Amino acid sequence: MTASAITCIATEGLTKRFPRVTALEDLTVTAGAGVTGLVGANGAGKSTLIKILLGLLPASSGRARVLDMDAATQGAEIRRVVGYMPEHDCLPPDVSATEFVVHMAQMSGLPRTAARERAADTLRHVGLYEERYRPIGGYSTGMRQKVKLAQALVHDPRLVFLDEPTNGLDPQGRDEMLALIRRIGAEFGISVLVTSHLLGELERVCDHVIVIDAGRLLRSSSIGEFTQATQIISVEVEDGLQPLADRLAGVGEAVAVQGRTLTLEVPADADPGRAYDALRDAVCDLNLNLIRLEQRRGHIEDVFKEPAA
Amino acid sequence: MMPEPTGVIHDIGYRHYEGARLGRGSAFAALTVHSLRGAFGFGRTARAKIMPLLLSTIMLLPAVVSIAIMALVKQQGVKYPDYAVFMQAVLAVFLAAQSPYLVAPDLRFRVLPLYLSRPVAVLDYLGAKLAALSIAMFLVLAVPLTLLFAGELLVDLPGPPHTAEYFSAMAGAVILAVILAALGLALASFTPRRGLGVASVIAFYLFTSAVSAVFYGVFMSMGRDTAGKWAMLINPFFLVDSVQVALFGTAPSNGDGYPPGLWPCLIVVMVIAVALAGLFLRYRKAASS
Repeated sequence: MTASAITCIATEGLTKRFPRVTALEDLTVTAGAGVTGLVGANGAGKSTLIKILLGLLPASSGRARVLDMDAATQGAEIRRVVGYMPEHDCLPPDVSATEFVVHMAQMSGLPRTAARERAADTLRHVGLYEERYRPIGGYSTGMRQKVKLAQALVHDPRLVFLDEPTNGLDPQGRDEMLALIRRIGAEFGISVLVTSHLLGELERVCDHVIVIDAGRLLRSSSIGEFTQATQIISVEVEDGLQPLADRLAGVGEAVAVQGRTLTLEVPADADPGRAYDALRDAVCDLNLNLIRLEQRRGHIEDVFKEPAA
Repeated sequence: MMPEPTGVIHDIGYRHYEGARLGRGSAFAALTVHSLRGAFGFGRTARAKIMPLLLSTIMLLPAVVSIAIMALVKQQGVKYPDYAVFMQAVLAVFLAAQSPYLVAPDLRFRVLPLYLSRPVAVLDYLGAKLAALSIAMFLVLAVPLTLLFAGELLVDLPGPPHTAEYFSAMAGAVILAVILAALGLALASFTPRRGLGVASVIAFYLFTSAVSAVFYGVFMSMGRDTAGKWAMLINPFFLVDSVQVALFGTAPSNGDGYPPGLWPCLIVVMVIAVALAGLFLRYRKAASS
């Protein structure tokens, strides 16, 4: 494998200042092949980073390389081999999905016949069948997201940027989209940079996760390390939350009461089984009615509470 | 070499694209063709075809009538260089109806970022749109002119055919097409709503033609003929006609003539430059958002 296949994206001290806000500040990250998640709250600088990587926005300082090409000077070359699915709606209502995707394939430099074949193939892969001949105006949000994804894949890019692809989807549509992203990375062999403000959903499909907040890197690590470090058990009982908290604190667990729920933090190096056992014993001994007990790992706010790695 | 396998397994898994990847030029050409087809309603809904085809047909009517006149009374009907000025309202309506279609939906539905995330640059995009609308405007005017010329040759009027006039009018049509396309796109691109775009282009035409007529009338009644002739040039159709007069020596369509010299040519170039600069500034803002 060549070096470019290993490192898809690399930024070095990347900073972007707008007249009033600093969108990115001294961001140094690398992402390899496979599916990389880019997580951050709204306004954390995810979309700005993608625009810089596409070579559409100049950085204030620092450097960014995509597939071993410089984003500042080789934008046009990058855009030939990269696909982009924007966060916002970007589809004209009065053309069919087929026509639209064929047109976008031609805009990527595919000859007309190849564009038609690739559009039919890609729309099938994203799961649009007979409805692709109808005007896009009548599509559901789920179908629109599929068309947006199809136009990003139609020219068989080496890397795709998917900006909030699960936005506005219902749980089933979200699952379908995430499964599709996993397939793009694994089966299609196209590297993916996918953004979301929900770490929980990205951990299911990503190999590597980058978390940014207010334009700064919070952490960048493989998914395995990630979920380990942020394991949290949340408990809800009918009455007697405080005695339970006291009891657990008494045996040396890190507990916190947040409203009607109690959270139990499990350090990365500890055995989670012990915490569960202690919790079970405490609930039994105090004779409490347990309403909910769940593993609440990887919520974005938990990552933000921790110091940056 | 292995023998060709006889059985076929249909692989419906993902296949990579190994074929040709053409450059910016081909994307430019594809976008131009796509936009040109769209300007005449091809590849769009049936409703979108009504206006362009109706207006194109109306443009042909004077040519058909002129051919009939030539056949019956052996006399020239509409003169070639007068055709554009004679049919200016129809050309203006065509421009107003079609220029917003070329730019407004991409702004309104935010398709532009998809173009720009491809090898297409802002200048390619604008160039293709301008080329498409210029070609469309040229065709709307050049087809009737050519029909008229073919008719003249077939009817075989007494005296030599008006070949020079025909070619002058065709050259004038090129200039008119470019200036109208530049103005139409610049005006239409300032609003993402197609209806407002149509209104602003038609309002621009009505305003310029009214202002030029009023000033012309006022200056003429005051006896200031030169100022009146200059006022005529506010209307883009008379402006292009004056270029035809200056460059090719055709008879002026307004009857009174225009200011002498090559000033009209300079004005045309300046108007096109201002329109294109406005268009570019508008898109530089849109592209970075």
